Amino acid sequence: MKKTGWFCTYTPVELIHAANTIPYGIRNDSKAEHEDVLLGDSMCSYVRSCMGGALTNAYDDLSGVVIAHSCECMRRLSDGWAFRQNQIKPKLIHILDIPKIVTESSIKFFAGSLKRLKNDLENEYGPISDESIFESIEKYKTTRILFTQVEDMRKNIDSAVTGLEVEELVNDYFAMPVEVFNEKLKKFIDEKKDLKSDDLKPRIMIAGGPGNKSLIKAIEEAGALCVCENMCTGSRAFAGTYGDEKDPFELLARLYLEKNPCPRMLGEKSRYKTDELPRLINDYKVDGIIYFSMKFCANMQMDWALLKNHTDIDIPMKVIEGDISSEINEREVYSFVKRLKKRKKKNES
Amino acid sequence: MSHENTVKENTEARKIQLKNFLKANGLGDIEPEDAVKMAFMSEYKTLSPSAKRGYVNAKQFFNAYNFNTSGEFEYHHVAWRSLFVPTEIMYAMNLIPYTTEMVASQLAMAGASSERIETAEGSNFSGDLCSFMKTVAGGVIENIFPTPDILLTSTHICDPSAKYAEIASHVYKRPEFVLDIPYGIYDLYRNKKNKADEKRIEEAVEYVTEQFYEMIEFVTQKTGLELDEKKLKQICKWTNEARKYLDEGNNIILYERTSSKKGIKELDYAANLMQTWGTEEIVDVYKSRYEDYKKNQHEKREITVPRIAWFHLRPYFKNQLMSYLDEKIEISGSQVNFVFFDELDPEDPVRSIARRTVMHPAYSSVMARTTIAIDKIPEDTSGIIAYYPKSCRHFHGGAIMENEMFKKAGIPILTIDGDCVDDRGDDFPIVKTRVDRFLKAISK
Repeated sequence: MKKTGWFCTYTPVELIHAANTIPYGIRNDSKAEHEDVLLGDSMCSYVRSCMGGALTNAYDDLSGVVIAHSCECMRRLSDGWAFRQNQIKPKLIHILDIPKIVTESSIKFFAGSLKRLKNDLENEYGPISDESIFESIEKYKTTRILFTQVEDMRKNIDSAVTGLEVEELVNDYFAMPVEVFNEKLKKFIDEKKDLKSDDLKPRIMIAGGPGNKSLIKAIEEAGALCVCENMCTGSRAFAGTYGDEKDPFELLARLYLEKNPCPRMLGEKSRYKTDELPRLINDYKVDGIIYFSMKFCANMQMDWALLKNHTDIDIPMKVIEGDISSEINEREVYSFVKRLKKRKKKNES
Repeated sequence: MSHENTVKENTEARKIQLKNFLKANGLGDIEPEDAVKMAFMSEYKTLSPSAKRGYVNAKQFFNAYNFNTSGEFEYHHVAWRSLFVPTEIMYAMNLIPYTTEMVASQLAMAGASSERIETAEGSNFSGDLCSFMKTVAGGVIENIFPTPDILLTSTHICDPSAKYAEIASHVYKRPEFVLDIPYGIYDLYRNKKNKADEKRIEEAVEYVTEQFYEMIEFVTQKTGLELDEKKLKQICKWTNEARKYLDEGNNIILYERTSSKKGIKELDYAANLMQTWGTEEIVDVYKSRYEDYKKNQHEKREITVPRIAWFHLRPYFKNQLMSYLDEKIEISGSQVNFVFFDELDPEDPVRSIARRTVMHPAYSSVMARTTIAIDKIPEDTSGIIAYYPKSCRHFHGGAIMENEMFKKAGIPILTIDGDCVDDRGDDFPIVKTRVDRFLKAISK
């Protein structure tokens, strides 16, 4: 079965699935950041990894890609991909512009963009009916419901679900057919639902954008538990509430734009994010936040300054700046976890 | 907060903020009224075209702190503006735009940007953020900018600018309106294949038109200011006139010759970034520039120094590079002065402003914007110098592709990785070596 790559969690994968291809989420694993000879060193490491991967045949098994115009670095990735199209195997390139605000007009306009995406997918893969889109929507709706169940388990103070286990699930979601992934999720929930942990470790939320694959490991090895990944390689990939639109494009446009926002979003939606954070802290009983801020991502960096300087959050927060594949300074993580342990002990006494 | 209370609060805040601004510029001993009078000592009509431009900017700058050019109090409603939010509608609503990037370059010229950057970096703003916005962030922390009545932000081109406006809205506790501008419409226009593409372009124009009307309503609701439709028509006519003179002036220096000394001042017009579009004064500025070039126009002569088209901006802090280049090259064109838009339609002003906004070629692929330059740059141009701040993902991130395209088209290009407002990494000897090598190569 053909595969179509996507990069950003604002990409409605339901349309790719409805085109009878497997949506493949391109993560941080090309191992070819240094092979990006086109975009230069002012780009974020995720985009450089994708560009380097494209130039070194890492995505040759894909038939096409949908590149979301989600930020200025992704904008240049779409340029680089198109510029070197003759050297890159995936034939279809669709650039999907994504509004940064959420209004009725932006939802309508985004729905128009999704129709254009559907047309491009049809040209490559054949006709896509509204029925097949709704069938795909149902499958991903199941994913969202199941993942929410996992997240609900993590909200319990004695949760036996670790951050590393959820990270593995997210990785599988990016790579697997949704049907297989849903079965895996069901099995995971069945295995975990009656388990409880009596080791009450400090509970950490990771916030930011695409994470670093060593980060959760470093946090949990330092003696804490990751309970929430408020990032696009975490819960944001499964966020969203379904409306009752009869038009599948409008339904998807609303679902994706209204979800828990990425730092790229602006306006009311972005303001909502700062109000949303205290609710997440409360729901997940978070003891501390680690904000993973990817170097050269202005949206994340500005977001961190906003959170740190202008929001009333009364738990410790720490920023770690780095690349998607750089080494994590374990001592830095360890000392933060140690601080949380002391604070937790003090609060309990 | 009521409009009256906002005005009252802003009036008091801006008195302190101007004093702080002067102090940050090493002018702490001067009373604000005197500083204003000093800025406008020369009579406007006696000034050179470039100085006229500076006069208009300075006038608007002090207006934002509630001073008129005589140093007297006059309240102005200020709109904090991110680059590329159209100014015509603001003037028709009696709002003074306050473009933060322009103020950052002003601070750099006064040698006062690096300290602001350090303030920002010490307050959780990352070192690799855009230096313009770090200057602004530092300035906000030090309370040197006028508290705005409202913030008008656009998603156009630059992520940090739009994101920082969100923070400023938190700090000043003033309402913000965000314009969402669809990306790549200019690409679609250039490459349109069918009626569906044409329809999509019109949908984008309609989407932005609707947002402008929402913005007008928002401004009225939050400030009490209303759109003067008659004034907007007149403003569009001024924009059209200014556009005509800017374009004619550009054509003389790009395709003909003039002995008028242009130098780096030509870059300072930075027309497409300016907040003066839609004022009567900017018509006069571009007309004076055109007349100056026209008066000294002469036949093409033998080239004595290389004729260089300049891309993006220049370093605004005190530096040796630009004075060195002033002696070595002739600026024959500036990317940021390029007239990219058609005339506005005074009978349908909001829609035509929306069309200009979505069709901005800088908000398109590197390939599209480079192709325009290849088409426009005449053969007798010696080459291009592109000065890109490393913290600008939009321009710096496209430099390698752009270089390949220009080289293929036979146009030599030198890209300088620099910074416009942060002088901490300025290293003239290294840049000079590269410039000299480039100039030597093109002279062959």
